[in-house]
Amino acid sequence: MLCHSHDNTFINYTKAPVVKKVKTIEEINQKIKDGDAVVITAGEMTRIVQENGAGKAAKEVDVVTTGTFGAMCSSGAFFNFGHSDPPIKMSRTYLNGVEAYSGVAAVDAYIGAAQPHHNPDIGFDYGGAHVLEDLVRGNEVELVAEAFGTDCYPRTEVNTFISLENLNQAVMVNPRNCYQNYAVATNSTEETLYTYMGTLLPQMGNVSYSSAGELSPLLNDPYFQTIGVGTQIFLCGGRGYIMGQGTQHATDGERKNGVPTESAGTLMLQGDLKKMDSNYLRGATMPKYGPTLYVGAGIPIPILNEEIAQRTGISDHEISCKIYDYGVPRRDRPIIQETNYHELKTGKITIDGNEVQTSPLSSFKKALEIAEELKTWIEKGEFLLTNPVKSIPNKGCTVNPLEIRRPSIMVKDIKIKPVITVKAEEAISGVARKMVDNNINHLPVVDHPGRLMGIVTSWDIAHAVAKGSKKLTEVMTKKVIVAMEDDPVEVIARRIDKHEISGMPIVDRENLVKGMITAEDISRLMCSQNNKEGDSQ
Amino acid sequence: MKAWLKFSPRIVNKHVISDLIKTYDVTFNILRADITPKGGKMLIEISGSEAEEGIKYMEKEGIQLNPIKKVVKKDEDKCVDCGECVSLCPVEAIKIDENWTVLLDDQKCIGCGFCTSSCPTKAIKIAY
Repeated sequence: MLCHSHDNTFINYTKAPVVKKVKTIEEINQKIKDGDAVVITAGEMTRIVQENGAGKAAKEVDVVTTGTFGAMCSSGAFFNFGHSDPPIKMSRTYLNGVEAYSGVAAVDAYIGAAQPHHNPDIGFDYGGAHVLEDLVRGNEVELVAEAFGTDCYPRTEVNTFISLENLNQAVMVNPRNCYQNYAVATNSTEETLYTYMGTLLPQMGNVSYSSAGELSPLLNDPYFQTIGVGTQIFLCGGRGYIMGQGTQHATDGERKNGVPTESAGTLMLQGDLKKMDSNYLRGATMPKYGPTLYVGAGIPIPILNEEIAQRTGISDHEISCKIYDYGVPRRDRPIIQETNYHELKTGKITIDGNEVQTSPLSSFKKALEIAEELKTWIEKGEFLLTNPVKSIPNKGCTVNPLEIRRPSIMVKDIKIKPVITVKAEEAISGVARKMVDNNINHLPVVDHPGRLMGIVTSWDIAHAVAKGSKKLTEVMTKKVIVAMEDDPVEVIARRIDKHEISGMPIVDRENLVKGMITAEDISRLMCSQNNKEGDSQ
Repeated sequence: MKAWLKFSPRIVNKHVISDLIKTYDVTFNILRADITPKGGKMLIEISGSEAEEGIKYMEKEGIQLNPIKKVVKKDEDKCVDCGECVSLCPVEAIKIDENWTVLLDDQKCIGCGFCTSSCPTKAIKIAY
């Protein structure tokens, strides 16, 4: 990530955002203390701005509360366990079997929400996120630690139980939360995909999205005019603070109605785990993807002027987002179409003339509860607003890709044997002869122009003989797993492993068969690459 | 009516179901079936003017019949109303109401189990 903000030196601090103030945060706080502040949720604000206009809303409303409750993998917590006697400098640490990072001081560790259980049989079913939920629920958690042993820390192992109340510190620190808008997912392939966007049905059978739309914190302050470093927030039922921009913070993408149309700004958050409530923090597992943490966050926005009022008045209609094809496992996925949160929230959307059901993934019910809860705290005078210590950049931040020195090898780069195919009408005996003559086990079946129709294996031919089938089309497999010429070899290796097959036909965009790629081709490629590396050393 | 039928190993080879349909005026829909030589179970929906008699016939032939009200059960404490399951249901038995609460419709549910395996918080279970 590159941020070309103006704080290159320690002297030239970026100033807090310049906004024409009608009210100040101090004035709003005084009203909160006096019990006179007008506090409403972002959903209510949308209606008020629509009905009365932003000018009137700015005069009448003091604070707008936002909320989101979504799966946020980039979350976790730091712990200090306290010293045992004799003491230990933990080098490997497990909490209920989930590894925490302990390459910090002797009895400190960080557990990441997305870390799976170290036992592969449990794996994704119980991860770091579930440990966090267990602790917040007050459950005891097993602590296992290993160490090398030193003169000052002689102990080499610990096996005990901990609970949240007897930890010295338990601080949630989330490197990237509250994404300002996000991709919407569908899947054009023939197989069900299991992703961080949930289960995606074949042939664009469903669509999943994960932003809270008009309730979402950073869509209500899209230029970080009030949300900044040090802002006090609602975090998982307790109070948290914004540490700064989150990882992958981006500011310069496309905007419509002032808000980004794709993933953009992010926040790094922290809060005391001991004060949190399991109602707003949940361990979860995205099937065949991994553990993740549902994080509840709510940010209050002081309505300092008409512009801020206007921006908090944004509606689901005005927040655009793009549906991407997750069937393409690449960094840049193709865009299928653009939509908005109003349309997605109806539960159905039309793609290519077909009505497709949508899934929200993030809970609007909880997001609303959070916005309401934060509103109650402020109304009761229990929660005051904060002036940011420093602003979060709203321009100049882009996310750079990771360039791999040795780029991926594509299917078309591999030396492939000349393609041997059979026509659909060929006799079984002829097909058997072709297999024997060429010493191969699979043959793609093609039509006259050479387009893929199916695939036959030697087993299929044996089956045909045993059953007396005459027609190739009766015994061939019609649903064929294929490779495209511009697929990276890693993707093909994963496909071979996932479907437990030994190879697949390579086809072009017109479905014309270009060759076969097999597990052997890929192992040969790996051997030759390793040899090359050996030579150069 | 929806019911789980339990087949003992003794009767898995008998064509009770086809005889039932031939003999009685029943509409019969098999929603799930898992039957091996060791026995098994089947989730069915049965209706029609002679459904009562049909059920008696199945019980006489040795099928244990357990009528069910709920095909799937949602644990309200575990469910966070995220809605991941909604678009996965092939019969649109899962809906989000105006308060954004996720609701399961037992009348429509066919017990396919797709929502149970996809739920991030494992809040939905097939009710046996």
